[in-house]
Amino acid sequence: MNALMTRPELRKKIALQGIAFIIVGAALIFIWNDLKKSGATHIQTSSASRVSGILPSLLSDLNLILPISLLAVLFGVACAFYLEEWLSATSWVRRFIESQVTFLTEIPSLLYGLLAISVLFSYAGVFKEIGTPSPVQDVNESGLAVVPFQRNTTMFYAEALIFILMVIPVAIKTTQEALRSVTTPIRESAYVLGANQWQVIAKQVVPLAFPSILAGGCRAMSRALAAAALLIGIHIPDHTTGPRGIPDRFMLFLGGALLLSTISSFLKKSRLETSPTATARHD
Amino acid sequence: MQTEKKEPILSIHNLNVWYGDNQILNSLSFEVQPRQVTALIGPANCGKSTLVRCFNRLNDFTPNFRFNGEILFKGRDMYAKKTEVTAIRKKIGMVFRKPEPFQCSIYENVAYGARISGIRQSSQLDTIVQKSLQRSGLWNEVEPILHGNPNQLSIGQQQRLCIARALAVEPEILIFDEPCGELDPIETVKIETLVRDLITDCTLIFVTNKRRQAARVSDVAGFLYCSELIEFGTTEKIFTNPQDTRTEQYVTGILG
Repeated sequence: MNALMTRPELRKKIALQGIAFIIVGAALIFIWNDLKKSGATHIQTSSASRVSGILPSLLSDLNLILPISLLAVLFGVACAFYLEEWLSATSWVRRFIESQVTFLTEIPSLLYGLLAISVLFSYAGVFKEIGTPSPVQDVNESGLAVVPFQRNTTMFYAEALIFILMVIPVAIKTTQEALRSVTTPIRESAYVLGANQWQVIAKQVVPLAFPSILAGGCRAMSRALAAAALLIGIHIPDHTTGPRGIPDRFMLFLGGALLLSTISSFLKKSRLETSPTATARHD
Repeated sequence: MQTEKKEPILSIHNLNVWYGDNQILNSLSFEVQPRQVTALIGPANCGKSTLVRCFNRLNDFTPNFRFNGEILFKGRDMYAKKTEVTAIRKKIGMVFRKPEPFQCSIYENVAYGARISGIRQSSQLDTIVQKSLQRSGLWNEVEPILHGNPNQLSIGQQQRLCIARALAVEPEILIFDEPCGELDPIETVKIETLVRDLITDCTLIFVTNKRRQAARVSDVAGFLYCSELIEFGTTEKIFTNPQDTRTEQYVTGILG
């Protein structure tokens, strides 16, 4: 454990993070006001609807990200448990999967966006479908009216694929690290009392590793969200007003990513604070 | 010392152990008699821990672990295919060098072994916890904080908590793998007295690299050096009249 800090240090860091968060939040409000003044919030940002503000984008992003990310995170966590707890370190399957996971996590998220655009969309022939106009809705004065939600299914699957590709390796890696943080002596002292593998995992490993696993899941999702800002490139051909819609969506994604990463860092700290273990004292 | 019992509780025949290509143990053969303290002494990296970890099959988790030979627990092959590993581990407990209490209350720590054996009644658990803590001499110290965090205990108390935890499953053999490695002299004395007391309940195997400690604690001693068992016999004989020159050098402090 290299991240051990004393309580005053911890408080200082949390305070600094809070201040940074407030500053960024305030900046976001200014940007939002600017966008509203210039009418950018009224422009079309979603391929699914002619008339929209930021809400359809928000809804469509949530609709895309939440179920997929949760599924992908769960799958990644399950994968990590299998790799770490059931496969021996010398097994070639584990070595192969681990090398691939490392490779995938090291790829900058930018490249995933490029991959999404260049490979999937050109081969899937999605561009043709995106162009299909959807029925025009009445404009509400506020610009924030909920428009009937429509989703281009082919594109949904392509986006989903990219998200899964981005989320799973990070989830696997962070979960594996969390599982490794439960030291061998703890496991062994449960084993010598006659516990079987399930009992050790349920009673020792999961309670100790859970906060880290949760933080890792948040990190994976925030990475996907931050990278998803690139996916707006896909929507461009459908924008009548061109790339002016980009800042809007981009800020949304970045804000989401920031929030999630802050939550994850808080989760990690709470783990250190709640369990000043024997390891911490004697190492 | 009870030597009239002929049936050994643990017998090792021609045991060879490898980690990958490194041979850790080289054809060991000896027998552990019940109700005795058997000490295993020797310098670091001579295979003492590896040897005792074979006795409760903890080495199963080590990658690249290979062995041949035979370990009989009460006459039955411990590594036979149909042997239930968890049952073996309940019979053969272990206390490690560094105490590792679980992250739950002191009570739950001691009750853990009983719980996983399927005991649910709280009255029964209370009795087991009290008995084990009294046995390890910790009851008076922890009674008021029984449901508190074990991390508030001193490291010596934590070690005795680990002994209580191991005693709660009523093992037939209890292995101590350098239990005093991290303790101060006063706590060490407490553990040593405890070890002498425990032979009324179970057989003890005591691994240490402190010669005098082995002389104080054990009835029978074995000297391991460079992955071989050099000499095995009563403690008195090993320390006063060793047959091998290397044993003599070790116990007198010339070697190691």
